Amino acid sequence: MKNVLKSIIFVLILYLLVTLISYCLLPHDSVRKYGIIKTSIYEILGEKENTIDSVIIGDSLIYSGISPMEIWHNYGITVFDLAKSAELIEDSYKNFNIAIKSQHPKIIFFESNVLYREAKNKPWFYVWQELYKTYFPITQYHNNWKKYLFTNLNDSMYYSKINVYKGFKYITKTKPGLKLDYMKERNKINIPKENQEYFQKIFDLCKDNNVKLILISTPNMKSWNYGKYLGTKELAQKYNLEYIDLNVDNPLNIDWKTESRDGGSHLNYKGALKLSNYIGTYLQETNLFTDKRNDSAYESWNEAYNIYLEYLK
Amino acid sequence: MEKLINILEELNPDVDYANCEDLVDGRYLDSLTILSLISEIEDNFGVVIPTVEIIPANFNSAKKIWDLILRLQEEE
Amino acid sequence: MSYFDVVYFLAFLPIVIIVYSLLPKKIKPLILLIASLVFFFLYSRWLIVFIIISALSIFLAAKKITKIENEKKEAIKDLDVLTKSKVKATYIKKKKLILIITVLFNVAFLFYFKYLGFFTGVLNSLIKIFNVSNGFKIIKHLAPIGISFYTLSAISYIVDIYHGKYECENNFLKLLLYLTFFPTLVEGPITRYNEVKDTLYEGNKVTYKSFCFGYQRILYGIFKKMVIADRLNIFVKIIFNDYNNFSGPIVFLGAIFYTILLYMEFSGTMDIVIGSAEIFGIKIPENFREPFFSKNISEFWSRWHISLGLWFKDYIFYPVSLSRGVKKITSKVKEIFGMRVSSLLMGAIALFAVWSLNGLWHGAGYQYLFFGYYHFFLILMGNIFEPLIAKVCHLLKINRQNWFYKLIQIIKTCLLVFIGELFFRANNLTSGLQMMKQIITNFTFKGFNKTVITLGLDIKDFIIIGISLIFILIISILKEKKIEIRENLSKKHLVIRWLCYYALILSIIVFGAYGEGYVPVEPIYADF
Repeated sequence: MKNVLKSIIFVLILYLLVTLISYCLLPHDSVRKYGIIKTSIYEILGEKENTIDSVIIGDSLIYSGISPMEIWHNYGITVFDLAKSAELIEDSYKNFNIAIKSQHPKIIFFESNVLYREAKNKPWFYVWQELYKTYFPITQYHNNWKKYLFTNLNDSMYYSKINVYKGFKYITKTKPGLKLDYMKERNKINIPKENQEYFQKIFDLCKDNNVKLILISTPNMKSWNYGKYLGTKELAQKYNLEYIDLNVDNPLNIDWKTESRDGGSHLNYKGALKLSNYIGTYLQETNLFTDKRNDSAYESWNEAYNIYLEYLK
Repeated sequence: MEKLINILEELNPDVDYANCEDLVDGRYLDSLTILSLISEIEDNFGVVIPTVEIIPANFNSAKKIWDLILRLQEEE
Repeated sequence: MSYFDVVYFLAFLPIVIIVYSLLPKKIKPLILLIASLVFFFLYSRWLIVFIIISALSIFLAAKKITKIENEKKEAIKDLDVLTKSKVKATYIKKKKLILIITVLFNVAFLFYFKYLGFFTGVLNSLIKIFNVSNGFKIIKHLAPIGISFYTLSAISYIVDIYHGKYECENNFLKLLLYLTFFPTLVEGPITRYNEVKDTLYEGNKVTYKSFCFGYQRILYGIFKKMVIADRLNIFVKIIFNDYNNFSGPIVFLGAIFYTILLYMEFSGTMDIVIGSAEIFGIKIPENFREPFFSKNISEFWSRWHISLGLWFKDYIFYPVSLSRGVKKITSKVKEIFGMRVSSLLMGAIALFAVWSLNGLWHGAGYQYLFFGYYHFFLILMGNIFEPLIAKVCHLLKINRQNWFYKLIQIIKTCLLVFIGELFFRANNLTSGLQMMKQIITNFTFKGFNKTVITLGLDIKDFIIIGISLIFILIISILKEKKIEIRENLSKKHLVIRWLCYYALILSIIVFGAYGEGYVPVEPIYADF
């Protein structure tokens, strides 16, 4: 019995110590406001309040295809990728709901592939990972020790809690996509009913917060097709939304031989440059945003860009 | 017994065979030396040492080796 | 589920411990068996039938051999000496036949799963040389987990039974547990039945002490792997894939780091294995004994992957060197050249067999065979030149027990080991040879300092690696001096003890090389 008590105390103290270290290592400002757990799952909470011009909701297609740092460097507009891999629309709604509490983006892009992913088949490890991230957030930020330890060392490496990629995943691999006729005509595919309901919620949320919602289909020859295009188009008409389709007739001129990382499903860095510039131009042409590159309040974005360049090397 | 000690000393003269208790575990006899030792024993004492008997417990001291030889001679 | 998976030490193992503790002593070993089968199933699904077949084959064969042995004893009871040996021989013949069939049967599975691809490849290249046909299709199979390990355990059991080393096991489930026991299943140690049977089937209680000691050892293993091995992995990967771009010293540093990585990964796994078993009061023999304190290569192999070395010694080295054929050859040589040459020859033949098989055991590939023959060569040379070195030292009045002499020997051994492991890790034999060429022909320290910190690890990573290695070195020295660290620690004041545990756990969490930017080392030995 004595040993059981001892073990319990041991675990309690351990828990306290872990929490203490978590506070030290997690991004400071936002931790104080939102707590350890939220800050670690929702990267966007690490950004200064009301500094993001536009957010993008979607799955891996987005975080492989749009690099906010490129848009920042060329247009001075702040974009954040809220995407998660194999994201379900209910999570899109959740993420957006959180993001809108600290940011007031004027435009939100919604990747249409999410519309067709059904919630039924959530893999078990996905659930497990979520739990793990939620209750043990230090595992994602533990490397920040580099910012505090041995700081008197005069080395050139820059350790920062600045989020550099802003949701983007940098991958340079190339594997050509071959299914060049993937947009040949076929019948419309309907969006699952449950997903339509969630879309309604997202739509309402945008309306309440005065955010312009835009649908977008990134180039993708593996899971996208003409039927889904028609379904999305119908949805856009129903809600009277703008729809940017980048698949029919390949408007971005994606070279599938060199600009896909995995045989036509995701863009690689080269492809991402094209898409990022497209989004940048699009945002600039709305005339809703000012160029903030010389604004001292956004200095951290310039810093982030310098680190980004280091990463690209 | 004396004959055995002579054989051992020929193989590795740096060891005090009368008192050493960890010939194998202390790496005084490595596996190649043990091979020489076995063939010497087989020639000199007219026994055949089967492979199962080649375990550290039987070779860790001169006394143990001597016991093994006596046991094998009896079994013959 | 690898042993380093959080699921293993925070979910699987605790569940087994709880169920095990709740049930009565008699059923306890059965729980271990069920846990082991579940563990196996999680890895290899229905390939589980193969391990059961293996266990069944040695179980039945052992019983049959024991029966023949008993019949033999009965039959020769009242016979005179001459007929006795005649009758004996017929029984031994029967026994031997069963032994050979069983061993071949088990080796056949191993061959089928692991080596078929390699040998069809070899055959195909031969066919190409002679231009006979297009060759055969290379089939690759998913092997049952741990097949290289449990097959050797199975062979050791049946051979020992044949020699009458111990009594055969009459309970099939017990024998199955011996082969499948989940801590030792994936990466060994290759246990012997008589070493583990006393504790394995006891159903010992999980005590507070065994629980704490077990988990301490597990934590130490995780530390070695996650803080050191996984961190070095980044560096090692870059060097071995891109060796052409680096100067000699950096490539060699890659080999050194790989050797450290391999040791931390493998011995760390062994810490988890032995620690897990310890919780249930089961004693598993050690697989490492501070190998980097070895003074020559043959000593290194008696301290590194001990269970494999001992297996080869008992079941290949001695049987081959004392076999009738080899004896015949060597006795002739002895008449002409004397004892030293003959025993060297005898050893050389056996060593050649051992290292061919050792190389192949590590993997079907030319680089592994090369790895084997490299060590064969070093050990043989060591034995040939040993008397010469002894003489030279004697003449020059060098004291070989001197610490400085020992240190030089240790450094020499380490360098040789690094080179061996370079070939072991190389993507194939050609790139291994090219890396060696790179080390020798491009040996310049120009730009060394600058390049080193651009290979995925920065100065802070190196500091952490350095501190961790010093920590492990201190523990190794204490172990080498036969000081029981955990026993000593358990006598210290609670505060000190707990501070140690917290430091270890937190350093794993904070300094562990996991998460974004790190790729953990694959369990290296699990593939062998």
